[in-house]
Amino acid sequence: MSGPGGGRPWRAADLGAFVQSAARDGELVVQPRMGMARPQDMAAGVAAVAALAERTVATITLDSYTRVGDHAAAAEAIRSAQPLNGFPLVSHGPETSARVAAQAGPDTPVQVRHGSADPRAIFRTMVAAGLTASEGGPVSYCLPYGRTPLAESVTAWREAVRQLATDTRARGARAHLETFGGCLLGQLCPPSLLVAVSVLEALFFVQNGITSVSLSYAQQTHADQDAGALTALRLLADELLPAGTDRHLVLYTYMGVFPRTPEGARLLLARSTDLAVRGGAQRIIVKTEAEAHRIPTLGENLAALRRAAARARAARSGPAPAPAIDGPDTYEVLTEARALVTAVLSLADDVGTALLRAFHRGILDVPYCLHPDNRGGSRSVIADDGRLRWAAHGAMPLFTTGTRNGTVTADRLAAMLRRTADLHDLEARPAEEPRPGVPAAPPRRPRRIVVVGTGPRGLSVLERLAARAAERPAGNPVRVQLVDPYPAGPGRVWRTDQSPWFLMNTAACEVTMFSGPADDGPARPGAGPSLAEWWAGHDPEHADPDGYAPRAVYGAYLEYVTARITATLPPDLTVEHVPARVLSADRVPGTGEDGGTGYRLRLDRGDVLTADRLVLATGHPAVEPSDEQNALVAFAAAHPPLRCIVGESAADMPLALIPPGSAVGVLGMGLTFYDVLAELTLGRGGRFQESDTGLRYLPSGREPRIVPASRSGVPLMTRGVNQKSPGHRYRAVLFTPERMAALRAAGPVDFHAAVLPWLMAEINLVLLGTRVRRAAGAAAAEEFTERVRAAHARPPAARPEPPEPAALARTAAEYGADTRTIADLSSLARPFAGRRFRSAAEYRTALAEHLRADLDEAGMGNLGGPLKSACDTLRDVRQTIRGVVDFGGLTPTSHQRFLHEFAPLAALVSTGPPPLRSEQFLALMDAGVLDPVGPRARFQPDQANGCFTVASDQVDAPGTRLDTLIDARVPSTDLRADRDPLIRGLIADGTIRTFVNSWAGHSFDTGGLASTDAPFHPVRACGTVEHGMHVIGIPSEHTRWFTQVGSGRPGPWGSFTRDADDIARALLEPLPGPAAPAARPADAVAGGSTG
Amino acid sequence: MAHPDLATRKAKRSTGRPDAPGPGLRVLLTTGASDAHTWNLVHLQLFLEEAGHSVLNLGPCVPERLLVDTVELTRPDLIVFSSVNGHGHLDGLRAAHALDANPLTRGIPKVIGGRLGITAGEGEAERRTALLAAGFDEVHPDGAGPEPLLGRLAALAGAADARLAA
Repeated sequence: MSGPGGGRPWRAADLGAFVQSAARDGELVVQPRMGMARPQDMAAGVAAVAALAERTVATITLDSYTRVGDHAAAAEAIRSAQPLNGFPLVSHGPETSARVAAQAGPDTPVQVRHGSADPRAIFRTMVAAGLTASEGGPVSYCLPYGRTPLAESVTAWREAVRQLATDTRARGARAHLETFGGCLLGQLCPPSLLVAVSVLEALFFVQNGITSVSLSYAQQTHADQDAGALTALRLLADELLPAGTDRHLVLYTYMGVFPRTPEGARLLLARSTDLAVRGGAQRIIVKTEAEAHRIPTLGENLAALRRAAARARAARSGPAPAPAIDGPDTYEVLTEARALVTAVLSLADDVGTALLRAFHRGILDVPYCLHPDNRGGSRSVIADDGRLRWAAHGAMPLFTTGTRNGTVTADRLAAMLRRTADLHDLEARPAEEPRPGVPAAPPRRPRRIVVVGTGPRGLSVLERLAARAAERPAGNPVRVQLVDPYPAGPGRVWRTDQSPWFLMNTAACEVTMFSGPADDGPARPGAGPSLAEWWAGHDPEHADPDGYAPRAVYGAYLEYVTARITATLPPDLTVEHVPARVLSADRVPGTGEDGGTGYRLRLDRGDVLTADRLVLATGHPAVEPSDEQNALVAFAAAHPPLRCIVGESAADMPLALIPPGSAVGVLGMGLTFYDVLAELTLGRGGRFQESDTGLRYLPSGREPRIVPASRSGVPLMTRGVNQKSPGHRYRAVLFTPERMAALRAAGPVDFHAAVLPWLMAEINLVLLGTRVRRAAGAAAAEEFTERVRAAHARPPAARPEPPEPAALARTAAEYGADTRTIADLSSLARPFAGRRFRSAAEYRTALAEHLRADLDEAGMGNLGGPLKSACDTLRDVRQTIRGVVDFGGLTPTSHQRFLHEFAPLAALVSTGPPPLRSEQFLALMDAGVLDPVGPRARFQPDQANGCFTVASDQVDAPGTRLDTLIDARVPSTDLRADRDPLIRGLIADGTIRTFVNSWAGHSFDTGGLASTDAPFHPVRACGTVEHGMHVIGIPSEHTRWFTQVGSGRPGPWGSFTRDADDIARALLEPLPGPAAPAARPADAVAGGSTG
Repeated sequence: MAHPDLATRKAKRSTGRPDAPGPGLRVLLTTGASDAHTWNLVHLQLFLEEAGHSVLNLGPCVPERLLVDTVELTRPDLIVFSSVNGHGHLDGLRAAHALDANPLTRGIPKVIGGRLGITAGEGEAERRTALLAAGFDEVHPDGAGPEPLLGRLAALAGAADARLAA
């Protein structure tokens, strides 16, 4: 050891270099807070710390007289042997101080810690004593304590720092300064402000000549947020400090109210060490178990240092990988801190001046700080999830989040100040300190739920989740993140900026997103207005409760619902919209609840979310184009200006690019076709006008010629005028849920053989019953229906045969009704099947006649009109059909036939547009704007002429040449062709799989996502159930039937709301333990492992 | 002449909750010249504001001069001296003497509380006697909640009403 008596003056080891060297060796540098009044005591302390085997920095903490510059009082205290709470460096003078510091030896750095708003005398004495390292800052050692004006502190610090840098350099050494800005008041300062002040003070040091700095951060209330803050601090320092500035991060163990029990204190200390490792700090300043009670002894300090170093080593080599710290916490802290720092630096070139102006204007505003130069407009809280958040941000350039976080009351403040202490005392009481290397779970960590996709389905889950959480507080906080690049609520399909001509396909009065009717209270989950009710209040001029709202209006309603949900959340539930796309979801053991498996979601914007539960509500799929589509697109690309548009919805199609007068072929005559049609006519300035002969179209002249075609050669059947009230529910007579359940219970069913006859019987019963009512009155119709019911009311075990349509017709004939029945749906939906047309004109005439007849039927309504009542039955009994079909109810062969034959027919018959659209179709044909091709049309590239052509196999007419081809068929769910990287990744990892219906040696891959019945967990590739995940809506199509429903109905819950509620309930319950039975009834797990 | 701090202090002056019951009184919140603690002051401010009173919070390390000037200028209904650094009895005595020396501030009611001595219990009775003798109307021991302040304020409000009615 080379002491001051060795001829050469003692010189302290370089703190910055020492820490860098330790970091290279993978060691965390540990340092105490330690200050003794008497030189011999202080010397012993320094020597003991330096003698430890750990990488230590010795500390000389100064007393409070020296801190406030009352060196005379300190000297008097020394003389009269009064106790002091630290080492009076200035009063002892450089020689004594050098002797004390020299006990550290040549290798252990010594740092002077003081807390002074004017450190000039301290720094002068330090340098003279051969000391080079200290800490503090013009803000952090001014605002929290006392009332020295900030301007005085900045001036004193500027001078002191310059002097320190110069004098140290003159002695051939390098000064090191650590910011105290990462601590401020010690408690309740949101991390972004701590990071900002820490960075600004470092910049202040560097601007005044310091070349080696450390940036501090004090442990706060939430491990993830703190780790994010340390990462943000590092990134911001890298960004803003000049290259070549030596720098490292230093973490302070919790600086607020400390746990009172030794166990609680040890737990908090252990967690601070874990945080230092995880957050990438290279040095930690520890506290001791005695912190809450008194100034610690030397022995307690040494023990704390040894324990921290051991813990850090264990944490580094431990098995648990550090959770992702490039996550939302980092992003949030970094964004806010960068905004603060940038705003401050723009105020002046001199950082000190900029800091003064910043506090004067409130651009920096430390919450709860009573210093006269602090504006006092900010407030912070510990949010329900344990993170520090703003409750008020005053004039700081931050986004408001205050209303979410509630107001601060005296009681809440008191609880927040004690929270960390109480939690750790409580948590550490029964158990021993966790084994090193096994970080304990943070207290009351919220359950993290991520909903991928926030269209109506995702929103429905949120609505039920919030309603349930409000009814019965969960006890545990829950955090929901809604991830969707489009606005939460509308999502992509219902976004509000789409053309006003795109309409919904359900009457506004039949649409709601609230799971219960509005009441006297504010609209909230479980009680809110239907679309019609909201529309009438929102836009009374255009609202039409029985009409079909524009999709954009529904999108605005969905935004309203989202806003109501988030405005009325119960205290334990937080909801956040994350505007991003999920690229992948990895199962990561150990990151979930209770150490179980969680999900790590990588987002397209570059960050990562960790989730305990995942809800897939991704909606309409983006599927790979078929070979046929690819060929058409390639042909168009090779023959400009030919164009081929393949889009998932009309809103995504570049329809504006289609030149007026050009010929546009449209493949498919479903709902997307009607959107395209409206946009290319009404959207281009055309108008419809009532006339004696029906609707007439007045063209604008900017329309193209529209040439649609479909397999049937007719558009969807017109929906009957709605006569059913929102609460109307049809009770089936023959096709009863009980009968179908009994059928299914006997094993996989052949739909066409066993189910469809009952369904057709029901449809014909409604058809004939309506006719009887028209012919003989309501009483007769009731009697007719009762007779049929009675005839088939035998117990289902008897397996009676369904009534033949002819038998029903005979009964109906007794009432004088028309007895024609519907033999099959195909005859309704495909009236031109097998028919030959000798010219295009003949086809068009037949089509117009068909449409007019259909419109006449529709005009009679869906209760009064026989045909439309019959067709509407399909909608009424949809849930009964699902009961038979979903989750592997059909045999593979039957399932395939169901999807290929029945499902499209049911859509043609029961999902069509309102009458107005069909009238417009006719008017556009009359006007020559619309020119349908005929049944079984084929679109082909014409190599010779460089265009597309379309021709019908059933119409004797030359092919029509087309300039543009639009594929207006909505792609069906097929996960195997899904382009979504999330779905692809989940399939590749075996987390999800497609539903392969297998039975008796046959199998059929449906392409839909295999899931269990409620609450709809995906089935993994290996056949087990993925309990942390749920799937709702369109991705599970084919496993389930008819999932493309975008709204709930007022009145008793339908499956849309029930599905959401089932998932919401499961999300609020704990996961089943690992011992939960994996085997379930075959029909509950649509994994198809039977056979 | 008022202390320059007063100009900035105005920003922190609160008028209490508009819907608070009863007439809000005006409370000056202060601490010892040597006491840099503030959480106790922040908590008291919130507590009194929630009870409907107006608070002027002088913040940490209040010199006697600043205290007297502020009281003279603002004429509060009650001065609440809260200290937790263990020097409260000494700082408090100095404050009381300073307030007493000025005829304009002498009669204003004042209470003191907190951790007033370094050693809990020991010497508490003597400290209490000395502080009461120096002019404090009440001395609240460490660990006592802030609730008794509300009783004192209610009594002051009643007295004010009685004066008005007379």
